[in-house]
Amino acid sequence: MARIVVDPITRIEGHLRIDVEVDGGTVRNSWASGQMWRGIETILEGRDPRDAWLFTQRFCGVCTTVHAITSVRTIENALNLEIPMNAQYIRNIILCAHAMHDHIVHFYHLSALDWVDIVSALSADPRRAAQIAQSLSDWPGNSVQVMQQTQARVQGIVDSGQLGIFANGYWGHPAMKLPPEVNLLAVAHYLQALDYQKKANQIVAILGSKTPNIQNLAVGGVANAINLDNEATLNMNKLYAIKDLLDEVSRFVREVYVPDVIAVGSMYPDWLGYGAGVTNYLSVPDLPLNAAGTEFDFPGGTIMNGDVGTYRPISSFNDEYFRDNVQEGIAHSWYDGDWQKHPWEESTDPMYTDFQDNGKYSWVKSPRFANEPMQVGPLAQVLVGYASGHELTRKYVDAAVSQASSLAGVQLGLQHLHSTLGRHLARAVRTAVLAELAYKHWGLLVNNIGSGDTDIFNPPEFPSGEQRGFGFHEAPRGALSHWVVIDSGKIKNYQAVVPSTWNAGPRDAQGRQGPYEASLMGNPVADPELPLEVLRTVHSFDPCLACAIHTLDPEGKEIAKVKAL
Amino acid sequence: MGLGNVLSQDDGLGPFVIQTLLAGWEFDESVQVLDLGTPGLQLSPYLQGQESLIVVDTVRSDGEPGELRLYDRERLLKHPPAQRTSPHDPGLKETLLALELHGLSPAHVLVVGVIPAETGYEPRLTDAVRSAVPGAVDAVLAELERLGVPATRRTEPTEPDIWWERSPSD
Repeated sequence: MARIVVDPITRIEGHLRIDVEVDGGTVRNSWASGQMWRGIETILEGRDPRDAWLFTQRFCGVCTTVHAITSVRTIENALNLEIPMNAQYIRNIILCAHAMHDHIVHFYHLSALDWVDIVSALSADPRRAAQIAQSLSDWPGNSVQVMQQTQARVQGIVDSGQLGIFANGYWGHPAMKLPPEVNLLAVAHYLQALDYQKKANQIVAILGSKTPNIQNLAVGGVANAINLDNEATLNMNKLYAIKDLLDEVSRFVREVYVPDVIAVGSMYPDWLGYGAGVTNYLSVPDLPLNAAGTEFDFPGGTIMNGDVGTYRPISSFNDEYFRDNVQEGIAHSWYDGDWQKHPWEESTDPMYTDFQDNGKYSWVKSPRFANEPMQVGPLAQVLVGYASGHELTRKYVDAAVSQASSLAGVQLGLQHLHSTLGRHLARAVRTAVLAELAYKHWGLLVNNIGSGDTDIFNPPEFPSGEQRGFGFHEAPRGALSHWVVIDSGKIKNYQAVVPSTWNAGPRDAQGRQGPYEASLMGNPVADPELPLEVLRTVHSFDPCLACAIHTLDPEGKEIAKVKAL
Repeated sequence: MGLGNVLSQDDGLGPFVIQTLLAGWEFDESVQVLDLGTPGLQLSPYLQGQESLIVVDTVRSDGEPGELRLYDRERLLKHPPAQRTSPHDPGLKETLLALELHGLSPAHVLVVGVIPAETGYEPRLTDAVRSAVPGAVDAVLAELERLGVPATRRTEPTEPDIWWERSPSD
């Protein structure tokens, strides 16, 4: 039995640590540990609820927008405050654009190199690579010339002796299986993706005034004054600039991102069999279509035991099924006690021990829904959408599964989505659906303004006494919820139950593993010194635990990152 | 470009210096002054195609809290970035290298670094790092001058908008 610790102790505070025990080339036991105290919510106590979003936006440097929007929804929920439709649509377009940006970055820049061997691309035939790429889509960036240029760039980096960003890659690892031509086309698209994630980000910047920390929100609506003839406000020029950017990003998603995930995935069919883990899924509805938040373009709900027949909807911003069933436990977390409580009732009293396999071993709490561990994220959202009969989701899932089946030469079905690669495929499907819905909400906004409605804000009023609220958002990493208790206009308690907590949480009081942990069980590990397979499964969740503390490390004062004990 | 988390004590140095610069100086049209928080690899939209980059951030280095450290591009990139488990670890080195492959990486980089004292959850700099702010501001101004785009002192400077340090009762 070998114990492998993947622990990038690269910054002042530690982040996500993964421990696995490997026997006979297979993971037999696993632990996921958040190495950083997540007590950030205490900063909000005593503050004005109208300011909360400015602070929550700084919880995480990647998920800024999502914490900002969830926070204003939470305060609005506590006050029973509806917002104007223009505000709803503007928020929705921002959410779509942000998520498209985030998903493109995740696949190409944060996880593709778990599957793509960049050095192997050097031995590819660029003509053959272009042929393969052109058989997948009509994308103009699939020419022989583009493949040749890409190869020359990679050759230049290799010749310089400095692999730079790729210095830590697992090149030539036995688990790398793509033919050189597919590696080359993936590298070409890796480079092109930089431009398209930037375009998606520009949409957020136009509406949010700034990114990554948007400035246009308010409890009660948005601060985007609307006057179609005024240069300083949201006007026709800006609206059409958004549409042009949406056109470009959507085409990239349809013709590059989705086909790439299907093509790469179909060459790793084994990975449709690993990494399922927890197959209870939770997703919250999003893209509200009315002021009250009772109709949505993205359905929400739960699925238990991987059975879409168990679908149960979450259907409004006041949904009681969601409100009453979320709890967080600390049996294996570094807090004082071993309770499991509703977020409104929680406290945060740190009590650090060391890493104890059978005791406390993580700063992350263990969220539970109706006392069950749940997986959240694009896979949960796509399965919930599929189960609810959501047409766009069904269209893209069915097309992707059928195309992957013909490329892989085996009949695949919905059940194969419960896997490491299924999470990537679901994320691509979700991005394609987001692209279509972003158009729809752009049209809804333009029509609503065209009808003469320029309202953007309903002022909040804080009654005396106590109010409780919750707000949620189906963020790029899954169901995000904020919970607030307000007392006479001041925040008394604030808790954020974030997607990576649902997925990265440790065991609960009954010893049941969280989704990261469970997904690693049974994974193969060819070389304990180079546990690429462990990273594949963890990366497929798009973990985001570690953003709060930053501190650059220009002098390379890093401690070993992988230890095989 | 200021990097860091305003909720984490000295990690808020980068944003603090950016607010100080914006309140006190005017900048050439070609210069963007940005507080970017902690965006990891999602930095690339901001760096793509820029000629020069000045980063203000806390740095891990031997020395006393509050001491200033300057790094040029070569020195910053001498040590390759470590393997990431979470894809959102700080990503300055990775972003620069990814853009280099694309031919869009800023040719000129200066990191204006300050050694932090504390990075717990509190939206306020420690005294040691607060007293390093004027030195960090001067280093940025000197670099802008060297790059041929000097900043000019505002005739009526305002108070820096350090909104995260306001106490809840304000």
